[in-house]
Amino acid sequence: MAYLRLIRRFAVASTQNELAYRANFWISLLHSALNLGTGVLGVAVLFGQVEMVRGWDFPAALALLGVYLILGALRELFIGPSLESLAGMDGEIWTGTFDFTLLHPVDVQFLASFRYWRPLALIDLALGLGVLGTATVQLGHTLTLERVAAFLIALGAAVTILYAILLAFSALVLWSPGFLFTWVFNGLFQMARYPVALYPGWLRLVLTWVVPVGMMTTVPAQALAGELTLPMLMGSVGLAAALFAGASSLFRLGLRRYASASS
Amino acid sequence: MRGTVQPAPGRSFPGADHKAPAVNLRGGWALIKSTWAMWIQHRGFFFLLAFGWMIPPLIYMFVWSTAAGGDTVSGITRGEFVAYYLVLILVNQLTYSQANWTVGDVIRSGDMNTWLLRPLPPIYNTLSTEVAGKVVYMAFVIPVTAVLALVLRPELHVTPRDGLVFLPTLVMAWALRFFWGYWLALLAFWATRADALLALQDALVFLLAGQVAPTALLPDPMRSAATILPFRYMVGFPVEVLSGQLSSAELWVGFAFQAAWLAVAVALFVFVWRTGVRRYSAVGG
Repeated sequence: MAYLRLIRRFAVASTQNELAYRANFWISLLHSALNLGTGVLGVAVLFGQVEMVRGWDFPAALALLGVYLILGALRELFIGPSLESLAGMDGEIWTGTFDFTLLHPVDVQFLASFRYWRPLALIDLALGLGVLGTATVQLGHTLTLERVAAFLIALGAAVTILYAILLAFSALVLWSPGFLFTWVFNGLFQMARYPVALYPGWLRLVLTWVVPVGMMTTVPAQALAGELTLPMLMGSVGLAAALFAGASSLFRLGLRRYASASS
Repeated sequence: MRGTVQPAPGRSFPGADHKAPAVNLRGGWALIKSTWAMWIQHRGFFFLLAFGWMIPPLIYMFVWSTAAGGDTVSGITRGEFVAYYLVLILVNQLTYSQANWTVGDVIRSGDMNTWLLRPLPPIYNTLSTEVAGKVVYMAFVIPVTAVLALVLRPELHVTPRDGLVFLPTLVMAWALRFFWGYWLALLAFWATRADALLALQDALVFLLAGQVAPTALLPDPMRSAATILPFRYMVGFPVEVLSGQLSSAELWVGFAFQAAWLAVAVALFVFVWRTGVRRYSAVGG
């Protein structure tokens, strides 16, 4: 429970930090609105021309976009800022200030993953939920308790997969300092805003199995629509667990290579 | 805030220094060469940026070609979508103005001091990063698009007219995006958070400049907005010209809009620069 208390502390400290810059709120609001607008219009323009592509119609694609926005918001809430300060541009591994992080009497991976929070990402979370809600109403699904539960499990698995991939990409920085691996992932993650079925076969394989960004959005959207089979749900939970374990050990392996940044 | 740097009147506006054009050109060229050398050293980083910028057009290329399948969407076939977006990736990279992000930072950090103290119009600094950037980005983007073209079999039939008109529209698209971005960036003279406007500009470029779809495929209110506003003329217009989507009439109307917006952008740039640089009080020591 000490960890939960720490997370609360981190979140409070970050919030206080953020509240000091009030203009940031409005700018954040603008960014969130733009993110929502470009996302929704991007899907709307496509389905203004065609009724259905590979079994996906407008409401279904919109639901997927909602999941994508929710995932993006959760990433921005804590995974992104924490790992970016570690492995991003001028991050701790780059500058060598990671020394101080290592000296803290807590688990390094925990500290590196939960340190910084961006409470303004909650705006994005609300907008994402709004899009998903609207799409669900348009689809005319009845939300049974079972579906909502499956959706929440699938979403949890998706967040874990997202976290594991980002952690693995951040850990790679320990081998090659200065290369912004997380930026490569950012590019691939954007592809998750459309159903993987809309991509050519080879890319679909990459997005499902190699860098499973497709799994992250498609599986929860299917869960909400009641199209998800139990083995698929179990599969995505299993994948999340495997990736989490793999990324954690990669991170630990990388830590042994860390030799500070002094000259 | 320490002291105020007031540039000599002759230097305050690029090109206004008529006395020593030879020095300007030589100095400018030296700056361009050194910037270029510096960028080549860090090419891994810039390749990464170029990779990131390629992704959105690539996504829409895949999505539209899947939507077209063996058939057409609004008369455009799969191969034509591929060709349109491959050309768009190149044009987008060629016209992309990173100055519109960096110049604001230079003003906020006070590094503008160095620029103003040099015996060169400050626009040379921006032009040197433009040249360096274009060379480094193209070293990444051209091979990647070439490979994609081999794999994805685009269909591009260029008529002599379209090929001939493409070049001037491309140059004007670059100039328009450059000066438009520059005047927006110069708003940092007045407001430190002016780069929020750049995010809005990027969103509009994404929606209206032919990235999310070729202009002809946009739903109606968006299509009219794309025709009237400057953003289509920064990226999408030359691409539409080269891929033969425009009739003669549409081409000339577009050309007129592009020229008019370019004139507006240059005028705004000159005005904002002149008034802004007088307000500038350097930050830092």
